[in-house]
Amino acid sequence: MRTSVDRPLVRASVKFSRDRLRSESTTIQRPARPCTTAKMVAAKKHVPIVKKHSKTFFRHQSDRFMRVGSSWRKPKGIDNCVRRRFRGVIRMPKIGYGSNKKTRHMMPSGHKAFLVHNPKDVELLLMHNRTYAAEIAHAVSSRKRVEILAKAKALGVKVTNAKGRVTTEA
Amino acid sequence: MSVSRPNVSNDLIWQITRNQNAYLVRRNTGGGSQFSRDPLNLVNKHSFKYSGFANNKAVGVQSDENGNVVLITKKPNNTQQPAQSLVTVSYGPKTSTRKIYKGVASKTAQHGYRADVREEAVSRVSALRRAGLPKKETPASKPRGAKARQAEEKSE
Repeated sequence: MRTSVDRPLVRASVKFSRDRLRSESTTIQRPARPCTTAKMVAAKKHVPIVKKHSKTFFRHQSDRFMRVGSSWRKPKGIDNCVRRRFRGVIRMPKIGYGSNKKTRHMMPSGHKAFLVHNPKDVELLLMHNRTYAAEIAHAVSSRKRVEILAKAKALGVKVTNAKGRVTTEA
Repeated sequence: MSVSRPNVSNDLIWQITRNQNAYLVRRNTGGGSQFSRDPLNLVNKHSFKYSGFANNKAVGVQSDENGNVVLITKKPNNTQQPAQSLVTVSYGPKTSTRKIYKGVASKTAQHGYRADVREEAVSRVSALRRAGLPKKETPASKPRGAKARQAEEKSE
């Protein structure tokens, strides 16, 4: 049941998200910054990306002992304060921290990454350049990267790692 | 192996090939994605509707190295001779884009061919045409902050 008390709150949040969207569209219309990468097609409009917990979940007491690695392990001890969720202790990961399905795997630009190894892979994204961005695989040489970048520019596909191996240090 | 194919339905072919076929491209990045390299697939999406090999009526739009836009369709009755069952129409680089739209739309949707993919066919023509346009050179990046100051000192 929705009470009369929380209704204005809901409306305020809707307005807030609308404002956010509007501000995003204005940022897109600004003149492009000069950069080595081509100005690509902006991603489709989407609901704002919300990260409920942006910090990494480290394992309890991994900061105290060299032998305790930082990858998350759920504490199992009978007296463990983290397991018992005491005040002031680290938070445990849980399903509620999951991202909205609509923005899951989305980069801040609003694209999803698609790994490409050659110009032919970029062609797959011809009709999806507003949802997917190409990411060049790590083992691709600089010579072939140039070909991939040229193809991506022709098709209007964004490349996430366009500067890798191609630009030289001055 | 079935020599005569009339008993094999499109749905059966799709059920057999949907998990593994030469055109399928799968990636784990970005939450997992499936694409198709099928020349008769209008949106490069791995699905029954857009697959060219599993439908006996299918439309493909490609561009060739001369800048032509090539429309490919399948003859629905000649499934036993796949090489001869393709019909291609090519539009030269000087044809107006609207004319190509018209040709592609009518070829796709008329005579009960594939009216469901007409919009995709036209939008693919549009995308290919845009891809064929000459692109502007990207301006060189100006140094900012500390690097800009360094460059200034060097020039002085």
